Amino acid sequence: MNSNATRAVLGAAVVVIAIVLLVVLKNGSDKTTSNVSGEVPVIVVKHGEPVGGVRDLTYNKGERIRFKVESDVSDEVHVHGYNIMKDVKAGGSVSFDFPATIEGVFEAELEGRKEQIIELTVNP
Amino acid sequence: MTVLLPLAHALVARRDLPIPAWLFAWGASIVLIVSFFALSVAWRKPRFEDERWRPSVPALSRALLSLPVQILCGAIGVLLLGFSIYAGLHGTEAPDRNFALTFLFITVWLGFPLFSVILGDVFRPFNPWRAIGRAIGGGFFLIAGQPPAHLTYPRRLGRWPAAMGLLAFVWLEVAYAQSGGVSVVLSPQVAGLAALIYSLYTFVMTTLFGVEKWCENGEVFSVYFGMFSQLGTFGVKDGRLGRRVPLSAAGRWAAVPGSAAVVIASIASTSFDGAQEGAFKSGIIQVFEWLSDAGMGLLAARRLSDTIFMLLCFAGVGLVYLAGVRGMSRVRGAPPLAKLRSGFVHTLIPIAFAYLVAHYFSLFVFQEQAQFTYLLSDPLGNGHTDLFGTVSGTVDFKLLSANAIWYVQVAALVIGHVAGLTLAHDRATAWWGDYRQAARSQYWMLAVMVAFTCFGLYLLSVSNS
Repeated sequence: MNSNATRAVLGAAVVVIAIVLLVVLKNGSDKTTSNVSGEVPVIVVKHGEPVGGVRDLTYNKGERIRFKVESDVSDEVHVHGYNIMKDVKAGGSVSFDFPATIEGVFEAELEGRKEQIIELTVNP
Repeated sequence: MTVLLPLAHALVARRDLPIPAWLFAWGASIVLIVSFFALSVAWRKPRFEDERWRPSVPALSRALLSLPVQILCGAIGVLLLGFSIYAGLHGTEAPDRNFALTFLFITVWLGFPLFSVILGDVFRPFNPWRAIGRAIGGGFFLIAGQPPAHLTYPRRLGRWPAAMGLLAFVWLEVAYAQSGGVSVVLSPQVAGLAALIYSLYTFVMTTLFGVEKWCENGEVFSVYFGMFSQLGTFGVKDGRLGRRVPLSAAGRWAAVPGSAAVVIASIASTSFDGAQEGAFKSGIIQVFEWLSDAGMGLLAARRLSDTIFMLLCFAGVGLVYLAGVRGMSRVRGAPPLAKLRSGFVHTLIPIAFAYLVAHYFSLFVFQEQAQFTYLLSDPLGNGHTDLFGTVSGTVDFKLLSANAIWYVQVAALVIGHVAGLTLAHDRATAWWGDYRQAARSQYWMLAVMVAFTCFGLYLLSVSNS
């Protein structure tokens, strides 16, 4: 291998290693905390939209997924993928409690409005 | 408010988890190790330039390529296209309950590349536009006593119409398909209408240039699926089925002008679809905000910002390839730049296929469960029919674990990388007389391949949140 080629290949290697480190360090810094401990997260819906934006909820497989939706509009809360649906009345609330059995990223929506309120992540 | 929402959301209620950092690190390390290994074990005489064609027994070719079989396959294709258009235009507006969207965008668009690699160019007999065109041509011959006359297809145009059509198809899927504030994506009606318009366009072009000529060059689906069929071992030559060395047909396929644009459009569009909600998301939102601040309507601003990023993907992938080609051209004994430019494009076809598998493997497995249960029994999605008693079927999301999906994704990219390197090295040994110069030229292609494979891994590792 001549010196130019060596430099080119080493350069490529350095770039790849740098990207790897970047991704590894970046993923290490944003922790994937599970929501299983502590209190049950409450998603407040005002005017048909989640207050503070779409809520991220992260669990590990086998844990119980628990959350509560308080809404000022009546609609159906639909957890896609798990296909769990519960109605909520205007000014009322509805609680969810089910096991995290399917891995992946899922959405929970106000079905009638097609408004996403939760981004549900279940890690293996 | 939902700002961006690709098609996959509407069809499947589940998205892949990003590959974990440790797997990304492993994947990228394997790519590097494989690449260095490739440099050391390189062979000195080309092995994939000659197809070593082995025709099958004549009886098998006669049976499978017979006129009744061709008519049957063509009729199935025409029927399914017609039905998809009908379901799109007259079925439910819910994208996940309408046969048309899943059939066109998942079963056909993602299924045929897979089957083409395994079985050869299986789309050709089922191609509905080719079937109709040939039937009309046959009718014309019966009445007029001579085959219809056609214009000469401009050779320079090559496969450019197919490349542009490919971009347009993906654009419809990922850039046009949005709606303000709610998760409405490509509506079945729009998909049905698009299929109808595309059919009319194809009839005009096949009438002008001839059915086979247009299918070889301009018909998007023939060219796109045909490209992947070049990777596999099965093919048809001179009316005979047969086998060849795997990968060996790709080089000859890519010699037609415009082929580079098709391959690059394929990699670029898959990249864009993968990055739209992940790696590019903040950039797209930034451009969207600039455009909407400048007074553009929300929907138009979203579509335009997506379009800009999609074109940037196309330009980016093209530039990386051209940089590699330019580097190669500096190595002593190099053929002219124009020859190099088209001469190494086929080495990217395995990468394009690897990108497809990595990004859509789980979507395909999950959505095909819907295709063959409730979408088949109630294709219009209005709840009135249960043709096969499977209308209450559901998608089993436990079928694939996150780990299984990750391993398939990384394995696809690494195998695509190896196949790409193999083809590039092989072509170099054929085109450079001197073995050492050939090896030297390949440092450049190696850099191109490493760039594409690591970019692919990076896209998979970025969270889609």
